[in-house]
Amino acid sequence: METAEDIKAAKEIIHAILRTKKNLRMYPENNPIYARTIGDTYTRFRSFFNYRDELNLKINQNDILYDSEQIYYNPGKDDNLAFFFFKDGLREITFKNGLSETEIEEFLKILSLDFDREFVDDDIVTLLWERDFQNIRYVVDEAFLAEDEDYETEAVREIKEKAPDADELLKAYDDAFKADEVKGVSIVPLTDDHLHSLARELERDVYDKTDKLVEILFEMLYQAESAGDYEDALNFLEGAIEFSIRHGNMETASSIMKRATGLINDPSLPDNVKRQMRLLFSFPSSGEMIKLLGELLDSVEIDEKVFDEYVRFLDKNAIPPFITILGELKSINARKNVINALTFLGGKDIRALASGLQDSRWYVVRNIIYILRKIGDKKAEEYLLKAVRHSDVRVRKEVIKTLGELGNRGVLQTLKDCLEDPESQVRISAARALSNIAPEVAKRIILEKVSGKNFMDRDLDEKKEFYEILSQWKDGDVVDFLMRTLKKKSFFRGAVNDENRACAAYCLGLMGNKDALPVLYELRDSKNELLREYAYTAIKRIEYGR
Amino acid sequence: MADKEEKEVIKSAKDIVNQLAVIIKTAHFHDPGNVAVVTAIDRFVALANSLIASEGTLVLELIGEFFYVNGTRIKYSLEYLLNFDFLGREFKKRELGSIIFRNAIKPADIQAFLKAFIASAFSQNPFETLTENLADVDCLIIGKPKKLKEEGEFDVRRMVKKTYFNAASYTKGIMNRIKSGEKVSIKKAKRVVESMVDLILEEEELLLGMTAIKGHDEYTYYHSVNVSILSVALGQRLGLSRKSLTELGLVALFHDMGKIEIPDEILNKPTNFTEDEWRLIRRHPFWGVRAILRLKGLDATAIRSAIVAFEHHMHYDFSGYPKVRRPSELDFYSKIVSLADQYDAMTSSRVYSRIPMSPDKALSIMMERTGTQLDPLLFTFFINMVGVFPIGTLVILDTKELGLVYKSNSLFPDRPRVLVIIDSKGSRVEGYVVDLTEKDAGGKYLRTILKTMDPNKYKINLAEYLL
Ligand SMILES: [Fe+2]
Ligand SMILES: [Fe+2]
Repeated sequence: METAEDIKAAKEIIHAILRTKKNLRMYPENNPIYARTIGDTYTRFRSFFNYRDELNLKINQNDILYDSEQIYYNPGKDDNLAFFFFKDGLREITFKNGLSETEIEEFLKILSLDFDREFVDDDIVTLLWERDFQNIRYVVDEAFLAEDEDYETEAVREIKEKAPDADELLKAYDDAFKADEVKGVSIVPLTDDHLHSLARELERDVYDKTDKLVEILFEMLYQAESAGDYEDALNFLEGAIEFSIRHGNMETASSIMKRATGLINDPSLPDNVKRQMRLLFSFPSSGEMIKLLGELLDSVEIDEKVFDEYVRFLDKNAIPPFITILGELKSINARKNVINALTFLGGKDIRALASGLQDSRWYVVRNIIYILRKIGDKKAEEYLLKAVRHSDVRVRKEVIKTLGELGNRGVLQTLKDCLEDPESQVRISAARALSNIAPEVAKRIILEKVSGKNFMDRDLDEKKEFYEILSQWKDGDVVDFLMRTLKKKSFFRGAVNDENRACAAYCLGLMGNKDALPVLYELRDSKNELLREYAYTAIKRIEYGR
Repeated sequence: MADKEEKEVIKSAKDIVNQLAVIIKTAHFHDPGNVAVVTAIDRFVALANSLIASEGTLVLELIGEFFYVNGTRIKYSLEYLLNFDFLGREFKKRELGSIIFRNAIKPADIQAFLKAFIASAFSQNPFETLTENLADVDCLIIGKPKKLKEEGEFDVRRMVKKTYFNAASYTKGIMNRIKSGEKVSIKKAKRVVESMVDLILEEEELLLGMTAIKGHDEYTYYHSVNVSILSVALGQRLGLSRKSLTELGLVALFHDMGKIEIPDEILNKPTNFTEDEWRLIRRHPFWGVRAILRLKGLDATAIRSAIVAFEHHMHYDFSGYPKVRRPSELDFYSKIVSLADQYDAMTSSRVYSRIPMSPDKALSIMMERTGTQLDPLLFTFFINMVGVFPIGTLVILDTKELGLVYKSNSLFPDRPRVLVIIDSKGSRVEGYVVDLTEKDAGGKYLRTILKTMDPNKYKINLAEYLL
């Protein structure tokens, strides 16, 4: 008979198990509570085993017994630990002294799994069976596995009815003496050679079974006899593509598409099948598949070549979901891959790609602009123009740069307007873009800008950039302007004026204009430090040809 | 911390068994003083002594097909397969079941043990010889094999029966539900197969005996279960892990799933198939793939099941069906299931052979098919498993007793255990089991198989004893 103390200890273990079952679901493995809960449960087992060799629990639907003493009771269906075990056929669990912390941890992990999820194919008993714990034994009632309780009785009755009667038996006995002498099959005894061959065979067996299945599915397609057969085979091929992507096997997914491409060009294939096959071709581009692809890209490093090969089989429907995941991916490499994919696919449908410019995430918009620039299709312009007023400066800068590289004169006015943007970075980009597209017009506009009153107040960096842009035109009017600026003296706002002069010196230096040297020499003694320094650098540039 | 130690103990237990095989092997080829033998012995002594130091004793037992060290079963691993198999045979040859090392051992003890062990191989009564020769070595004692469970134990038989019929009933249920388009979970299928795997590991003969009872009305379901049992039993001989055995068992259970598309009237037809009917039968591998893939989404087990459902009639040399454009080597499981499938089909009175064959006849036909229809390597393992006279074979002994083979003997394939149903006087008896390896005082075998007969012809089977 167990003592009250034993029962108390057993009850405590049940409580600890219940608590762990909950905590393991709530906290991730690296959370201290996770480890602490397991440790606590283990301690309770250990202290129980100080005086006992085993803990045997009997399971009923609504209660758990320890030595016929009820130590757990729950009449409800929710969070009922007894029923949780009972429903899979468990009727007894025995923990033995010797139970290790790893064993108890594994056991508790099984308990905390979410068995309601559809894809869990194992019940508790299967999981316990697979772990094959040394110190956790259990008894199950398998009766519920039979579809029909009387099956065994019926089958046995049926067989017994057919049992030979005495006459038949004796006939057999008589015949036995007339039968031929036994020949017997000779048995080749197993040798080390057999075992070595077997080991090799087992090694060979570790191949990717998906490829074999795909081979079979194509065979089913070839040998299909009805519309239904074709449909099934195609559906399964879709399944195989999905399975491959889910398991990081992009090569197999690509090879399915490649073979399907070959097949669709086969003249012997009926037209209606070809129509059905188009569904297979659009499958990898579906939102769900792209989402799956994104998960894959984020979890493992995918070889760029392998990825690009797969992307070749996608169509423009993949563009919107790709844009969606572009903003969600965590790894740089994953984003790089998606950008490559969109560059390839976007070329087929600029409009679909450009719709990404409406995305609420500025970094996505900037990526789309970058991709449009890489594609270099002038059609992109009409969409890009709308992004010029984007609220994020990083986007505006990118869009202006892109417009500049696309080189269409139609955007000149817009770019000119951008020279008034509140952000200096944007203004600089606009000036560069202008000079890219239409140098003659740009020269005029920029000269106008730098001689304007407002320009004086811009900060030095921006001024420098503008003057640098000017340096590409070595024409008389530009040089005149620069010389004028260089020599200009002003008593009002002298320091700001000197900044302008320093920039003019910088620009003349970049041009390598020898005519400016006399003035520059003088400026080496200027009182303004900036001017002195810039003049000095410009002289060096001009004298030494850079 | 404790776990790490525990794992190391398990690992060293494995190494000890392996090292014992190594020293026996080495001692077969070299003199006891040879450096290879000495080094191997030193390693064994070191391993064994460290376990003895921590656990007090070292008990090494062979129970059934498994080694146990201090009561813990040594789990399978491929790297040790060859040595474990070798050691198991050496033990069985000598009727040796256990070696108990009681306290720290010295290399000299093991030298003495090896000498005695090797000498005993040529003895008429090896175990006795071994015991005598070991009289002076006092650090160890040896014992005969323990019986797994008392034979004929009622509970065990009841459990075997229950497992077998549960499996058939489950198979019927799942096939019918798939037929009617219902979604089914394979959770239960796993449970069914797991309990079969457990029994094969512990009560193989009884479960194999169940497969030898033929003539059920619902052939397809029993056939599926039989193929599953035979495949798992073979897989066990091939050293597959428990988890792989479950997968193999599941795959085998579903191998004929495609037959749900074939009308029962055709399947159960008493006469030969017409050409049209054959066309339907030849489609069942395709339908099998379809049924399995529809059952649940793709996962490793579904893929493997579909492959085997497709390939199980293709044959090793691709001479079977379906014919494919690009044949590639059959899957390992397909080869196993093909063997089990042919054997069960041939020994049953349905479908492929209208006339059932006696098990030994079926085996001799299968033997002719090795290298063409069947994989020769796996067949060698298969026949070593079922023996010359498979369970269920009807035999007449030189004592004029008539009986059914009840349990095979892997060491003496032509000397199984036999359930006698008619005694030497020609009278029907209640059924007693005799072991054909039994010898009289003069060392002569008491009984030998004279002839085999077709049990189906007389509707004789193990039913009476097993059910
Ligand atoms: Fe079949
Ligand atoms: Fe079959």
